[in-house]
Amino acid sequence: MTVKVEVIEGGIPHTKIMIAGLICTIVCLYLSYLNVATGTEMFSFFGGLAVISALIWGSHTIKVLCSYGIGTGVPSAGMIAFGSGVIAMLLATKFGIAAPIVALVLAAIIGLVLGYLSNNVLNMKIPVMIQSLTELAVVGALTLMGFAVLMTGSFTFTGLTTGSVTLFGALSMPSYQLSFIGGGLTAVAFLLGAIAIQHPFNACLGPGWKQDRMLMLTAECGFLSMIVAAIMSFALISTGSAILSLLIALIGWVYTYCEYIKLSKRDAFAWLDAKPIPEVEGH
Amino acid sequence: MTAVAAKPAAGSAMNPTAMVIGVVMLIILLGIAYVVSPGLGLMALIGVVIGGVLIGFGVHFVPVGGAPAAMGQAPGIATGVAMLAAGAGLAGLFGGAWAADQGFVIAVITGGVGGGMMMAITCMMVNFVYVFGMGIPAASGKVAKDPITGDTQPEFKSQGTEGHGLPFVSFVGGVTGGILGGAGGTLIYLELLSLYQATLPTVLNASATQVLPIAVATAGIFAIGMFLVNAVLTAYNITGTIEGPHDPKFKRWPRAIVASAVASALCGLVAILIVTI
Repeated sequence: MTVKVEVIEGGIPHTKIMIAGLICTIVCLYLSYLNVATGTEMFSFFGGLAVISALIWGSHTIKVLCSYGIGTGVPSAGMIAFGSGVIAMLLATKFGIAAPIVALVLAAIIGLVLGYLSNNVLNMKIPVMIQSLTELAVVGALTLMGFAVLMTGSFTFTGLTTGSVTLFGALSMPSYQLSFIGGGLTAVAFLLGAIAIQHPFNACLGPGWKQDRMLMLTAECGFLSMIVAAIMSFALISTGSAILSLLIALIGWVYTYCEYIKLSKRDAFAWLDAKPIPEVEGH
Repeated sequence: MTAVAAKPAAGSAMNPTAMVIGVVMLIILLGIAYVVSPGLGLMALIGVVIGGVLIGFGVHFVPVGGAPAAMGQAPGIATGVAMLAAGAGLAGLFGGAWAADQGFVIAVITGGVGGGMMMAITCMMVNFVYVFGMGIPAASGKVAKDPITGDTQPEFKSQGTEGHGLPFVSFVGGVTGGILGGAGGTLIYLELLSLYQATLPTVLNASATQVLPIAVATAGIFAIGMFLVNAVLTAYNITGTIEGPHDPKFKRWPRAIVASAVASALCGLVAILIVTI
């Protein structure tokens, strides 16, 4: 993969964000393997943190790509990222402990081919197209894997397809329906991620674009998605672990939300702290 | 013409070298599928490629207006390709998936009808909003006469716009695109579903009834993923907006066919590998 160094005015260069995002995501995904090492599900929340670091990287990639004016709107970039990512991620889960690395390589191959198709066959002629679509496919795959870890505590195919149903409080039997893939949670994770990745640049673009504000919004969107995913994880992992994930998501969301509001006020020309509609006397 | 000598901006020009490389890649991918799984896998992959090509071709018919259409300054439905194609395609996919038990042909037709109905309702309500809400008539900016009804267009077109509203030909194009997209999405789903139903019991070592949720969910999410990949690639082909089948940009469809075929073959191969390795 060729790395194009691109300094954006007054911000961290894209290469740095990409490398940091990639390392953080992979490390977080592997930290969730502590689940297997310790025999608990307490470390599932690392999946959520992997989601957030991948999303921060991905939203900045979307910024780099969409600065060229691709004409199809920012959401389309998020959709192709997850459309290609979900395919790579599902195959990668078959490879056991190597799953995050396989997802990375496989998504990069799919993204590379899609980038070549858009740039050469479809004649887009955008310099960053191939690199951006490669990065976006990797981000899509790793984000979905992060959601899978957050909800089920595992990133292996068996872990994602097999759940267990407890009958009459004691009898436990395996169920394929009560699982990440069989229960259709993949589709929810897909859209939670796709919205979180495309929204920040869509909301912050324009002449007043500031890198830190957009990335803070990405983190905020990521934690918001993590709250929803953590609530869904109650069905698949132990209650204690799910509560831990939910608490981390809630704390992260409140913090990033407050920070985002602060940055928005910093960048705004002027702002008025509008109060809710006052109660009118005499009702 | 080589890639270097081609025009710098995205245009309507074809790139023969890249097209040939695309076709070669398609053949290689089909070859890999033949090596990995000669019978079931190859047939499924061919179905997936046909479905992907149907989606890619179908999106060209849909009148996508984008942001200018939302301001009444360009004809078409006022949103992007990704949203429109996802709406029409997923409506078709759900319709087709519901009819999956009724047989292959009925399911594909149901998927097409689902997608076409979704687009027909969308186009009609869009025109309602344009005509009765914004007070603008439907007029195309690309042709002087509607190719189907023969109605003249320029005298209804406001100055400084590229046309507005949805002329009859765009409406027909939208419904055609919805039918093709819905049928293509359903075809991908059905091919993958039948492959997974046949192979997953041995992979997971469970009965056919037990793996049904996995087969349905995996085929469904793969179909959605491939649908979005194909729709967005086509969106890149038409650079965001198109008026319908009468738009000059429609002539770019051969590029999208090659791109969709290669992309679907690659994604389909990965989807097949999940049960063969």
